[in-house]
Amino acid sequence: MTQTRNLIDENGKRTDGRTVDELRTIKITVGRVKNADGSAFIEFGKNKIVAAVYGPREVHPKHMAQPDRCVLRCRYHMSPFSTDTRKNPAPSRREVEISKVMREALEPALMLEDYPRAAIDVFVEVLQSDGGSRCAGITAAAVALADAGINMRDLVAACAAGKVDDKIVLDINDTEDKEGGADMPVAYMPRLEQVTLLQLDGKLTPDQFNECIDKAIGGCKMVYEIQKQALMQKYFGNETELKEEIQQ
Amino acid sequence: MHDVKRRYVIPGDKIAEGNFRPLMNVIKSGNALIATRIGIAETGRDGVKVIPLSGVYIPRVNDLVIGKIIDHSSLSWEVDINSCFSAHLPAQDVFGRDFSPARDDMGKHFAIGDMITARVMAFDRTRDPMLTVQDRDLGKIPRGELLKISATRVPRLIGKRGSMIQTIEQATQTRVLIGQNGIVVVTGRNPEGIKLAVRAIRMVEEEAHTANLTQRIKMLLNVPDTPPQQEAQRVGAVGASKPDEIESTIDEVEEELEVEEEK
Amino acid sequence: MSASKRSTIIVEHLRKQQMWDALARGKRLDGRDFNEQRPLEIELDVIKKANGSARVKLGDSEVVAGVKVETGEPFEGLENKGALIVSAEVLPTASPHVEPGPPDEDVVELARVVDRGVRESEMIDLDQLVLVPGKTVYIIFVDCSVVNADGNLFDATSYAVVASLLSAKLPVFEMQDDKVVDTGNMQPMPITTVPVSITAARIGDYVLIDPNSEEEACMDARITITTADEGFCAIQKGFTGSFTVDQIKKAAETARIKGEAVRARLKELTGKNG
Repeated sequence: MTQTRNLIDENGKRTDGRTVDELRTIKITVGRVKNADGSAFIEFGKNKIVAAVYGPREVHPKHMAQPDRCVLRCRYHMSPFSTDTRKNPAPSRREVEISKVMREALEPALMLEDYPRAAIDVFVEVLQSDGGSRCAGITAAAVALADAGINMRDLVAACAAGKVDDKIVLDINDTEDKEGGADMPVAYMPRLEQVTLLQLDGKLTPDQFNECIDKAIGGCKMVYEIQKQALMQKYFGNETELKEEIQQ
Repeated sequence: MHDVKRRYVIPGDKIAEGNFRPLMNVIKSGNALIATRIGIAETGRDGVKVIPLSGVYIPRVNDLVIGKIIDHSSLSWEVDINSCFSAHLPAQDVFGRDFSPARDDMGKHFAIGDMITARVMAFDRTRDPMLTVQDRDLGKIPRGELLKISATRVPRLIGKRGSMIQTIEQATQTRVLIGQNGIVVVTGRNPEGIKLAVRAIRMVEEEAHTANLTQRIKMLLNVPDTPPQQEAQRVGAVGASKPDEIESTIDEVEEELEVEEEK
Repeated sequence: MSASKRSTIIVEHLRKQQMWDALARGKRLDGRDFNEQRPLEIELDVIKKANGSARVKLGDSEVVAGVKVETGEPFEGLENKGALIVSAEVLPTASPHVEPGPPDEDVVELARVVDRGVRESEMIDLDQLVLVPGKTVYIIFVDCSVVNADGNLFDATSYAVVASLLSAKLPVFEMQDDKVVDTGNMQPMPITTVPVSITAARIGDYVLIDPNSEEEACMDARITITTADEGFCAIQKGFTGSFTVDQIKKAAETARIKGEAVRARLKELTGKNG
């Protein structure tokens, strides 16, 4: 990916008006899909993504069940109208790969040994995509898993950073993804301080690499605050603090 | 006589640090005690636990459950107990040891779609839950209005020693059957009473985590609230002159702790 | 090959008892009359990248539809018309019983019945969507994703398709040296009429419109009737039971009357008069 035009103007503004350190607007609604055990709808910039979790539940076909732990199944799929050119509804190789890295991003956070012989299904559907949809999908999926009451060691927050006009920027959008120099999506467990997804698409020098990963982690921490707020809002409404000490 | 610290938590939140015992839905990570579910974290003398506010029902031995017959093989019925696994009710449990598929017709006894009350007889990591309908009061439910609530709210609906559900039953002249798996059946002669009972149950489900719920339920049912003196006697561990608010919160804490410990 | 299936939802006998009691009193379990639809919510323009889009909630059934416009070769035998392709997918998010994978016969039927309603009503004036007769025409794709399923996906999906087409804007294409060029201008979709489908289910001797998933699990037969321009343009009887001729005629009349109310709503919402 070598850039052909400038994507950051003289005032340091990107194609959508953001500065290099600015995250797009994120809005998360918990419990959006009524039939699911847990769900979340995320608007991450122009991305509109639904994540639904069913589980733990019986595994079909039965021979896929594992005796000592739960089977995690993830599907990342884009609706035909979600992209600039219509996408064929059949799963593409990109969707297959993203389904896999998404599962591997979420699995470290889940306590799958608690649900032997069962399955947890995570479905991430992209209704509108605008760069960084896998990060938005993982972010929504983690919230949906918490909503479903699955035992988790930590949440998983995801955010991408990239190289545009030779500068390291946070949270690249669709244009920057297509025309920019590099794209690095990262998923992170905030309390455990562990990275569960890391990919790089493009060229970075060692210094740029360090800057990029640090920036992406910073983005993940900001995303985590929004996940937390969304969950607290749904479950506890405006009462964010319970009465603390109840003493004898 | 105990201190109980309570807090709303999401998975990954640190509840406490130090020499505490991790109890349900809590893991120890280094020196910290971490919540693994969304719920109310309680730090007490015997340990740290999280009372969950969401999650599929996981069966426990001896639980009373309400299930739906969905299939049968020649040896057992398959029962949907609103959990991650289907349960099985062996034909022998109903027909006796000398059960014979040729003579005893399983289809005549329970039809697909029938609702039954049953007890979980066996369940572990290696097999599906096994049910029994041997006891009195177990078996097919002949009639009633069916509701599904989250299994995590069942302790709150039952209340300490049944106090919450008894309040609802008495005020609405109904009988409410509650399965630990979140299935509830309401029966009664008066349709208005049944409707009111259903409203009260839904209110408990939605507001299970809040303080003063008992008071609000009593208001909905038009039941006079008992004065603080009597409440104190019931709770036992607390002095007589506490304000109502803390009173009922302690009530709720006790209810949940006690019901959990019975398991 | 189509084979008989086990019902995926088994309705509890207590609920069935209550349902029969209610039906005998002229009501349904959720309090509705036999000819009453659930609350219908329609939100337009939810997918900005699409040429037109709509999100419909009929009770708890939720469908998102998006219109994408391309150019290409016309269908064989229809050389002087634009092409219209309607597809639907029930997402695995929609219910615990959906398996991810290629569409099964129920979903294929859903897409084809919805497509038939739009096509046979001639809702879109496809004659106006030709660039080079026999060679290059506009291709209108309408894709639907069912997000949550609670019965009557036929009507929910149909309303989403119709609303997204009514509110869609097409790019104005031109031929320049044998190539298709986007002039950058936009035009409204050429609409001639507004088709509306109404689905009814028979439970015993009772015929109810807009069944929810519990009612569908108890039904004997189902019929979807699409009306346009004072008449009918598409009908599909579904499921393994039967109807009397009288029941069908009554259902058709109800479909015309109830359909008119939904039509008025769609027209008002999209500012279109068909």
